Amino acid sequence: MNEPKEIEILLVEDNQDDLDMTLRALRKANLANHIHVARDGVEALEFIFCEGPHANRKIENGPKVVLLDLKLPKIDGMEVLKRIKSDPRTKIIPVVMMTSSKEQRDVIESYHLGVNSYIVKPVNFEGFATAVQELGMYWLLFNQPPKTGG
Amino acid sequence: MKAEQQLKASLKEIGDLKAALDEHAIVAITDPQGKITYVNDKFCAISKYPREELIGQDHRIINSGFHPKEFIHDLWITIAQGKVWKGEIKNKAKDGSFYWVDTTIVPFLNDDGKPRQYVAIRADITERKHAEEARVRLAAIVESSDDAIIGKTLDGIITSWNRGAEKAFGYSPQEAIGKPMLMIIPPERAGEEPKILARIARGESVDHFETVRVRKDGKRIDISATISPLKDSSGKIIGASKIARDITEQKHAQEQLKAFLKEIGDLKSALDEHAIVAITDPQGKITYVNDKFCAISKYSREELIGQDHRLINSGFHSKEFIRDLWTTITHGKVWKGEIKNKAKDSSFYWVDTTIVPFLNDDGKPRQYVAIRADITERKAAAVEVVQLNAELEQRVAQRTVELEAANKELEAFSYSISHDLRAPLRAVNGFAGIVLEDFSPQLPEEGKRYLERIRNGGQQMGELIDDLLAFSRLSRRPVSRQTIDNSKLVKIILDELKFVLANREVQFQMGQLPSCYADPALLKQVWVNLISNAVKYSRDKNPAIIEIGSKCENNEHVFFVRDNGAGFDMRYANKLFGVFQRLHRADEFEGTGVGLAIVQRIIHRHGGRIWADAKLNNGATFYFTLEEGENL
Repeated sequence: MNEPKEIEILLVEDNQDDLDMTLRALRKANLANHIHVARDGVEALEFIFCEGPHANRKIENGPKVVLLDLKLPKIDGMEVLKRIKSDPRTKIIPVVMMTSSKEQRDVIESYHLGVNSYIVKPVNFEGFATAVQELGMYWLLFNQPPKTGG
Repeated sequence: MKAEQQLKASLKEIGDLKAALDEHAIVAITDPQGKITYVNDKFCAISKYPREELIGQDHRIINSGFHPKEFIHDLWITIAQGKVWKGEIKNKAKDGSFYWVDTTIVPFLNDDGKPRQYVAIRADITERKHAEEARVRLAAIVESSDDAIIGKTLDGIITSWNRGAEKAFGYSPQEAIGKPMLMIIPPERAGEEPKILARIARGESVDHFETVRVRKDGKRIDISATISPLKDSSGKIIGASKIARDITEQKHAQEQLKAFLKEIGDLKSALDEHAIVAITDPQGKITYVNDKFCAISKYSREELIGQDHRLINSGFHSKEFIRDLWTTITHGKVWKGEIKNKAKDSSFYWVDTTIVPFLNDDGKPRQYVAIRADITERKAAAVEVVQLNAELEQRVAQRTVELEAANKELEAFSYSISHDLRAPLRAVNGFAGIVLEDFSPQLPEEGKRYLERIRNGGQQMGELIDDLLAFSRLSRRPVSRQTIDNSKLVKIILDELKFVLANREVQFQMGQLPSCYADPALLKQVWVNLISNAVKYSRDKNPAIIEIGSKCENNEHVFFVRDNGAGFDMRYANKLFGVFQRLHRADEFEGTGVGLAIVQRIIHRHGGRIWADAKLNNGATFYFTLEEGENL
């Protein structure tokens, strides 16, 4: 998990079912080549800030997009978002918040913290797959971020 | 000789007569022109002129100027005609004093019948005249007196009656004199008169005898009478004089005063009965306390009199409070306030106090009257109220905290439902979908159908969760109201619906819709839910007719949405607005049973009412009321 290859998508998801479905949808859209999966907020932050098991990574080689679940063990998605967006080295990384519901306060707080997209995971199967594929495509292909360090 | 003797005797007789006349009367003789030719000594004595100054003068020398010209003229005419004149004349003596003379003037005639001389014989009546004047004066005094002065005989017959009597009793002197006194005595007092007369007959007076008499007009008057015996010159009692004063008004004033005093006494006893009363002198020393004061302070009157109020000072009030009190009353102003006092047994009591300063002529307080009411219980009650209020507030605060906690819990609950309940649903749906997608060729048709059913079930549960969350959000959402044009709002909703209803024939009939005062988003939800329901349940009718309107009932606007659709059995109307309550099977009409529950909650949160009227297979009408908006 700590090979220094270029990671395009950081998927932060604790729910195995959602994780499997998301990976499957990304695979089907040929977006699954460089995915790193973190299962909680701590793992996600360690990866992004190159700490702990990822100490040999370079922070400039951050992911092109972070798909972040809101409800996570240990450190929740909102806190992860806050840390990414408040650090000048990482705040350029697009973050897509994925959540089960459209609770207004969550949506508002996410946008306050600088989230780039906010999507509600649909209950129905087709809707879920389509949503994951579309937003992955958008952030990876159409929304090229400027080179970090600029 | 005999004749000479006879003449001599006659002359002597004449001389004697003249001497007797001179002795007795004032004599003067005048000539026809009125010139005095003779005066006797008495004339000189009374006129105080010596004879030499009188002889040769006429009577103008002693003219007093008192008599009118006519009187003098009449006198001269009479005597010039040779007739005797008699009358009373007022003359003036040399020293200027006046005297009265009863005068007889006898003219003596000559052979021609003309007066030869006049002889005037006068008697001094000055004293009688003075007495007469005095009597007239007295009579005038009696006459003009306001008091009734009545003379009566010992038989009680009225002999004199002055103007005062006329005024007091209403009878004129003519009507009264000669009548019995009984005429002015009321029948029940008739016995008084004989007793009075008996006392008078014994020579006694009756002083300030107060009684009642009757006026001519029948009105009774109170009089105070003094009755004294009348004696003749020999000292014999011949009657009585009665001086009476009408004291009706005086009596009335006295009675008023008495009544007034009684009233004051009554007021004082009422005050004593009701209030705690104390009086102090200007230095604050207690000079009077009533029973209530003693009772509440538990001091005896002897312990209080002479002390000042420090005896009952509770020490509760600030110095400023006491100083303010004294400043107020020493300036002659009334002080009002509530004071806590200490009784002899060291218990405390509260009195509502009014202190009224009474001033002397210099405007300085002469004494202070303090009137107090016991408000100890009221004060205790007030303390209790404060305590109760504090307790209540504390309870409210506690409940609020509990309620907030409950609300938070509820929020956390619905938050958790919205996240955690959906994740497994996604798994059910998702993996069922993946199995269908990835392993379809290996599955028998029946297996595929069941997987479809699994997905549908999951799908429906997702909708139920969404509706339930929407419903629970309603109670947390604040209602912010404004005046809303319902016609405009409903038109917008119908326009949106027409896209959805492109393949159906629905006739919308819209009536007059007045404005109302409501939350725009929530009110829109009400109209959308009701109209959508009407559309849904009328889909088997062709054409479906949906009527939207309002009517006025008991001074309030009632809005309604009516359809000609499936309707429902009114026996189940009570279930209509319950959450997840449905009157139709899902395979007849889809739905979660939350729409009407939401409508009812919104209407209730606006203080309105909602009800329905329907018949199975014969349409349904939903009615609701809302607060009226301003005129648009």
